[in-house]
Amino acid sequence: MQQATETRELIRIEILGYRLRGTYHRPAEDSSASWTCRTSSGGTAILFFNSLALPRAATGDSAVYWAEAFARRGYPTFRFDLPGLGDSDGQTSTDLLEFINSGGFAPAAVGIAKELVDRAGYSGVVMVGHCAGAVTANYAAAAFKKCKGMILLDPYFHLPVAKRPETREMLSDWARRSVVGRPLSNLFDRLKHLRLFLRGSALPGNANTKLLSKWKEVSAAGLPILVFKAPGIKAQGTKPRVGEFDYLEYVTKLAGRKSDLVMKSIETADHSFANRAGREAVREAAEGWLACHFLPADSAAHAKADSLPGKANKRSGSTKTRVAPPNPDCALEGR
Amino acid sequence: MRSNHLPSQPHADMQLIERAGYFQVPGAHLYSVLHEVEQPAARVLLVGPFASERHNTYIPWVRWARFLAERNIEVLRYDYRGIGESTGALEEMTFEDLSQDIRLLAEWLATRTPKAPLLLHGHAMGAVLAGRAFDEGIGDGLLLWSPPVSANQALRSTLMRWVGLEQIFKFGANRRSTADYIRELEQGTPLEVDGYEWSTKLWKESFSFPLPEALITEKTGGVAYDRPVKITQLGRDAAPLATGGSVGYDDLKDFTWLFKPHYEWIAEAATKSNQRAQYATSN
Repeated sequence: MQQATETRELIRIEILGYRLRGTYHRPAEDSSASWTCRTSSGGTAILFFNSLALPRAATGDSAVYWAEAFARRGYPTFRFDLPGLGDSDGQTSTDLLEFINSGGFAPAAVGIAKELVDRAGYSGVVMVGHCAGAVTANYAAAAFKKCKGMILLDPYFHLPVAKRPETREMLSDWARRSVVGRPLSNLFDRLKHLRLFLRGSALPGNANTKLLSKWKEVSAAGLPILVFKAPGIKAQGTKPRVGEFDYLEYVTKLAGRKSDLVMKSIETADHSFANRAGREAVREAAEGWLACHFLPADSAAHAKADSLPGKANKRSGSTKTRVAPPNPDCALEGR
Repeated sequence: MRSNHLPSQPHADMQLIERAGYFQVPGAHLYSVLHEVEQPAARVLLVGPFASERHNTYIPWVRWARFLAERNIEVLRYDYRGIGESTGALEEMTFEDLSQDIRLLAEWLATRTPKAPLLLHGHAMGAVLAGRAFDEGIGDGLLLWSPPVSANQALRSTLMRWVGLEQIFKFGANRRSTADYIRELEQGTPLEVDGYEWSTKLWKESFSFPLPEALITEKTGGVAYDRPVKITQLGRDAAPLATGGSVGYDDLKDFTWLFKPHYEWIAEAATKSNQRAQYATSN
């Protein structure tokens, strides 16, 4: 069995006592033998985290698709399984969502990012997460100074409410199917909207205040953030369903004027963004955003990227060249 | 002489070695993980669920591999071509390609030393593939979890699960039934199911890719083959390995109740296989 193909390399690192497994998507211009044996240093790596309990390939292998696309554009891209997920070691708590929502994966996520910077000489990483993975990325970004940006897909900022009674579920299902149910459902939404209006701009009781404070920390400091939103049930654009609290509007205000935040609604996507139209729209927008903020990692790629039309070098400091640390594995390669 | 060390409890001091790699087959690199054991009592090739079902069942599937490896059973699991970490294009894949991949993986596993009985374990779509490989004479034993009668039944079950989820986001006339999607697929329009594109060719081919008739029940399987066969239909309590349950919760539950009896069956099947091999050698 081989450890690598022409474009991918399987990697294993030890973080917090766990053997974590990941896949490295080699940029087109990179001819190094391994991710730790880079011929140049600096540049920004892209790092994907798991979405809830999904393996690192994500729904419909969408993370593989995006990682390959980013690598083709010159960005070294990594997908890792966090402890207890996918192929990585560890036992995950049965309250996985609660664990993630409280930032439980952040130390491991930071550990991975630090390893990429220390061992491969990247100047920083862009963290990518979908849904619960976005929560992990947010916590990790706040704890890791060399996080240079975030791409968040359908992030959420609330804690789950108690499971709805079965009769309520049945009623909702009936409302979705029935012609009579639709106007009744709309009326219910209006009543919820009225309640929301009377509350003013106060956060709902189940808001994840710990996460919101981390968001404020990173966004207000000007960290480039790209947020993708898929249409929710009875919702349009980045707006939530009538009667639901508008978290995206809230976090935009929280980020303040110094923030570098882009919100993008992908109308053709479902929540997973894994459908063809959704994943392509994400890829296109993310590639454009990356080109505006970050230079690809290697010098050959730099030259290529510099010729991209409309490319701005807003964060050129993040690509400052630095010498990669010596690696014993590289020495062994030559024997 | 085949080794035969079958502990009922995991080795406390065992350092499990898991080797992930790409196994090259014509047209693709199959992502494979070998749960390596020094002196295995048996080897098992895990042939797992297909496409989106891979993702839903990944955690218990990996835990099952580790459960066996901790008990001295070497395991090889892999991703189908064009799915998960494997390379290749799903749209171009045929069921014959998948069968050929099993043959190559089983051949590789069987040539590892020291020699040990090789068992196939298939789940859902993997049960059809493993069953057909076993019917061709591959493996010293066969374990099937929830085998569908054909590849089409496996696809249909995946489709129904997906349609159920899709309907949550659709209202009134926008809600489409499984039959609507099947009609489109049969009329030549590819269908995206959980991010995977199913071609009309794949759908049509799945009808002519049945589980061997002898494997419809454990009893008929036992009669037809001179090798051990076990078939288990998983209930809702085995979610997400079976339909039902909640994503993110059921993946992480304790499956010892399911794993233990099936490990014991594998251990027994390996012992029987060793005895047969010894008998054949002495005669």
